[in-house]
Amino acid sequence: MKRTVEEINARIKKGDAVVMTAEEVVDLVRKDGLKKATEQVDVVTTGTFGAMCSSGAFINFGHSEPPIKMSKVMLNDVPAYGGLAAVDAYIGATEESCNGRPDYGGAHVIEELIAGKPVKLKASSRGTDCYPRKDIETYITLDTVNQAYLFNPRNMYQNYAVATNSGERTLYTYMGKLLPNMKNATYSSSGQLSPLLKDPNLRTIGIGTRIFLGGAQGYVSWEGTQYKTNVPLRNGVPAASARTLAVIGDMKAMSPDYIRALYMNKYGISLAVGIGVPIPVLDEDIMRTCALSDEELFAPVVDYALQSRNRKPIQETNYAELRSGTLTIKGKKAKTSSLSSYFKARQIAKELKRQVEEKEFYLSQYVQSMPAERAIRPLDVHSREEVEK
Amino acid sequence: MSSNRYLLFFSPDLINEPITYRMVKDFDLMINILRAEIDDTGGRLMISFQGSPQQIKSALKYLTDNKVEIKELNEYVHKDADRCTDCGMCVSVCPVGAFVIDKETWKVGFINDKCIACGMCIDACPPGAMKLGQ
Ligand code: SF4
Ligand code: SF4
Repeated sequence: MKRTVEEINARIKKGDAVVMTAEEVVDLVRKDGLKKATEQVDVVTTGTFGAMCSSGAFINFGHSEPPIKMSKVMLNDVPAYGGLAAVDAYIGATEESCNGRPDYGGAHVIEELIAGKPVKLKASSRGTDCYPRKDIETYITLDTVNQAYLFNPRNMYQNYAVATNSGERTLYTYMGKLLPNMKNATYSSSGQLSPLLKDPNLRTIGIGTRIFLGGAQGYVSWEGTQYKTNVPLRNGVPAASARTLAVIGDMKAMSPDYIRALYMNKYGISLAVGIGVPIPVLDEDIMRTCALSDEELFAPVVDYALQSRNRKPIQETNYAELRSGTLTIKGKKAKTSSLSSYFKARQIAKELKRQVEEKEFYLSQYVQSMPAERAIRPLDVHSREEVEK
Repeated sequence: MSSNRYLLFFSPDLINEPITYRMVKDFDLMINILRAEIDDTGGRLMISFQGSPQQIKSALKYLTDNKVEIKELNEYVHKDADRCTDCGMCVSVCPVGAFVIDKETWKVGFINDKCIACGMCIDACPPGAMKLGQ
């Protein structure tokens, strides 16, 4: 049994497409077998809602009278990068506010804009002959600006290590609050609902793939930063963090239900981004991975008490164990916490299913596939001669 | 007169000490036991003291001298349902299991009655949904 994306889109158009969430096909394949399930289902929807630090937004504010070439740009006292053309800026999610509040930053500005709230823009410049104005202070909303789009260089990690802490003191990390003596462990993938775990070799996801992004229709724009493929596999799926994607989407069409600013105490700010990817069931091979359950998806456990980029995993676990609430590490029981919301991940997969069924969302054939092989490079301290070719 | 709430942790060898009796007799405090749990890892007592600041201070010193771990409790906490994303980060940091995940819906519920107001969840909740006060 084989299908193409065009055939699936034709069925969506006729209202005949059968769409199921990645959770639902786990049970279907168990019940009916791979062959029958592949014949029955056209599209499998996935979802994730987790902290994605490498996120941010490009905004074009429009020109003032007289015009200004903004060099220093602040949004609600959070610095945005203005080293672009006159009224373009990029606000990064993790940028912290300058007004002394560690728990407010770029992610909050992004969330407030999407929620329709006004945001204070302050900008300054040295003034030029063509852009004489030297400063401006005003309020913007998503309706007053020309463009505002999220452009996130690294989202949707394909798997991620579980974090624990063998040390004596509580650690405050981007993986949340880690209690001493391995009293807890935190994880962040939506497991059996996670987009890139369900199409592990990215057979159906590439540049140009249309996705659900923050409530809007967005697109995969590039390989994500730190994309890598050379990781251990279990059941043909990476059992450690591997591929990532850069994504883009119009903030004006997004909803605050699917974008949430986060503050990790004593670490910093992040943005929870809701993403869903519809996977076309091209053949049995793709249905096999779509139907992998939490028991069959594995992640390494890493001890954050060791502060090195080379920390070795202390053991492996699977998402069923993580989701059970307790993880046994070296014979001791640790309570588990998810940093990403499984509730929201499921909500996204269901919403995407509804949109495909109701012909609001069509699948897309990518224009370029993602790299088949990629290793990650470290940053070492070199002299100029050492790196010069 | 002031009234403060504390969480006391005892090691198993202290369980037989008549601590509450001494609080009343030696330090003339009014005490109210809000919660008590004892198992083979030791005991946990959530307690409120009423007395003069000086009496409370002496009582706390007596407790620390006897190797009882003390944690002063914050005000009550509440969950802002609009900010909560049902992630579950709070679940593993709460010492008394006041957060419960419904395995059908995967929503995270907060059981107010279980909460001992230790404050552990407040700085652990990423979107800032756990707040002090009723
Ligand atoms: S950590 Fe905060 S957002 Fe997450 S479930 Fe608990 S209260 Fe809700
Ligand atoms: S304050 Fe938070 S962590 Fe502490 S007992 Fe209450 S709910 Fe649990």
